[in-house]
Amino acid sequence: MVFFYGLSKPTMNHRRSWPGESKFLGFVYLLPALVIYLVFILYPIFETFRLSFYDWKGFGSKPTLIYLQNYQEILQKGQFLSALSHNLVFIAFYSLLPILIGLILASLLGRRALPGMAFFRTGLFLPQILSMVVVGVVWRWIFNPAFGPLNMMLKSIGLTWLALPWLGDSTWALPSVGLIGSWVQYGFCMVLFLSGMQRIQPELYEAAELDGANEIQQFFFITLPGLRPELGVALITTVIAALRVFDLVYVTTRGGPGDATLVTSFLVYRSAFQQNRVGYAAAVATILTAIILVVSFLITRYQSKSEV
Amino acid sequence: MKTLIRVLSVVLVLIFTLSACTSKTVTTGDVTLVVWDQFYREAETQVIDTLNAEFEAAHPGVKIERVVKQLDDLKTTLKLALSEPNGPDVAQVNQGRSDMGAIVEAGLLLPLDDYAEQFKWDARFSASVNKRNSFSEDGKIFGRGNLYGVSATAEVVGVYYNETMFETNGWQIPTTYDEFVGLLDTIKAAGETPIAFGSLDGWNAIHEFSAIQHIFVTGQYLDDFVYAVNNVSFDTPENQAAAAVLSNWATAGYFTDGYSGIGYDDITKLFKAGQGAMTITGSWLAPELLADTDFEFGFFLLPQATADQAQLAIGGVGIPYSIRKNTLHPDLAAEYLDWMVSPRAAQLWAEASYVPAMPLPEDFTLEERSLFADTVLAWNRINQDNGVGHYIDWATPTFYDTIVAQLQKLLAGEIGPDAFTSQVQEDYGAFLADQ
Repeated sequence: MVFFYGLSKPTMNHRRSWPGESKFLGFVYLLPALVIYLVFILYPIFETFRLSFYDWKGFGSKPTLIYLQNYQEILQKGQFLSALSHNLVFIAFYSLLPILIGLILASLLGRRALPGMAFFRTGLFLPQILSMVVVGVVWRWIFNPAFGPLNMMLKSIGLTWLALPWLGDSTWALPSVGLIGSWVQYGFCMVLFLSGMQRIQPELYEAAELDGANEIQQFFFITLPGLRPELGVALITTVIAALRVFDLVYVTTRGGPGDATLVTSFLVYRSAFQQNRVGYAAAVATILTAIILVVSFLITRYQSKSEV
Repeated sequence: MKTLIRVLSVVLVLIFTLSACTSKTVTTGDVTLVVWDQFYREAETQVIDTLNAEFEAAHPGVKIERVVKQLDDLKTTLKLALSEPNGPDVAQVNQGRSDMGAIVEAGLLLPLDDYAEQFKWDARFSASVNKRNSFSEDGKIFGRGNLYGVSATAEVVGVYYNETMFETNGWQIPTTYDEFVGLLDTIKAAGETPIAFGSLDGWNAIHEFSAIQHIFVTGQYLDDFVYAVNNVSFDTPENQAAAAVLSNWATAGYFTDGYSGIGYDDITKLFKAGQGAMTITGSWLAPELLADTDFEFGFFLLPQATADQAQLAIGGVGIPYSIRKNTLHPDLAAEYLDWMVSPRAAQLWAEASYVPAMPLPEDFTLEERSLFADTVLAWNRINQDNGVGHYIDWATPTFYDTIVAQLQKLLAGEIGPDAFTSQVQEDYGAFLADQ
């Protein structure tokens, strides 16, 4: 092979085809992946979009075209906006808080070699690799007012008044579910920032230290700017996670108490599978997808702008 | 070109292998009956497996292919499965408008009236029971028209009590509603939790409310309400009174501490561990209360205002077996249904401490003063009194979500009884207007 390429060096850019080789051979190699992408991703997205203009039970009789009625109903009912506002609250818990914790942990763990470092790193990353259903079940137990460890601990140190029925309390249910999200996401942010910090040249820190910058100044003027690409990645993935959260709500509160933890994806599930309103669910899903696309686009654009 | 052909052929082979995975292998000669059910609990599964094995033994050449799912899973997958040309022959189809009603409307279920006559199911089930599994042919009218399912088990919602705790404290089983309310106070004063209850999962809050509601309303009202006839409303003084009682119980501290943050299964665990003197739920819990516990438990119906009044309680029959309309073996499927509601099935369910929907075999003796006897007697009582009430969440396709959300708000004190009934009526009224 090397021998061959060596010989044909001048024609590297316009390599002659093998005798009998098709120009499109390269595309054929892409075909399997493309087919899977088309069948399992693009087609369902398109179908969801198309169905959002129909009234359909999801099975049996044919869908009826009702144009924008589903969208009209979504905007008229307060439920969608209230669900979306819960998603926005979740951005604070799924995105901002984990990034903050991740930054703090990364700067603590990243700059010096602690004994048992690998252990800490693995342990702190663990929540990220657990299945969300497992996480939900475990936290339902932790939050349980009757025998959960959280309230037992609160009661044992005399904070009985604070031992609330967390997941069932109209005010505290949303932040409680949100905190579970923070617990899941911070490990991912931490690992991302740790790997990013390895790219930052140690000389920068040495120079800053010689100039008399303390650790906090070093963090703000070296670490933080150096982590900009990682911050962008962390922001996009966690914000998307906050906008499309479903499993955690399904396992812990099912949108309750009242509609206190109802989020957009849960509204999609409820409409489609419990109320047989697939068209309406598709419309909600389409709006959610559009919001996610716009938000991701804005974050990427902001990020690439600030890199220039 | 050769390479292209080679690559294409690989792709084709892959596609064929993939499609081969999904296509079904056809068995020759013998008949396979595919049955979807949701009897996933161990005791239930044993009953079904025994019945299936006996059915196969009585029908040489017939094989039952059983698919077990949890109810949620069954509900979400069954509708599409029944639309398939080779979907399940027999399946448990949940009652109510959003499940059986929608599936009948789509023309996917076989009317069973001819088979009911052939197998004399009327002798086994009352008219009130059959109504619950009936719909008009277009799926729009609930409680009338064709029969689309038969149920093997019966359910009645009442009060489980910790017999051991009752005996130690000298508490008596109440016979009137006032006695019951008095008992709640007595238990609370003794430092115990009167009612083990948790509303986190939502669905059992409906039972908690509706059990009380059944004391205040008439059977006729409940029939009208669930079957959407005679234009009744949810926003009535009776329903408001029931909501007020529920909300009072919550503020009086009759429920488990922190009840809004505790789920149904955890409440069952707490009740079994002796935390709570009573719990209000359905007869399906009896088998679970008999295993691994240091306590004796009993069951009574939430009493009416006076002891001689006809008893009304939430009740009904379990999720019925239905037949897919386009099955290739309708007669065999009907025979299978008949077997699932046979005296033999009744006996097996009873031995497992589940109340069967059909009469118990005559030679079956109830163990006196056992928990199972309590639930069977309660079921017999409401049948005698023509007082088999309803699961009110069958009323409209959105009723479940609406009433759960409103009940959680009522319990939290966010809304009062009046706002509760008017909010729920909004859902029900919109549904009636649509009909």
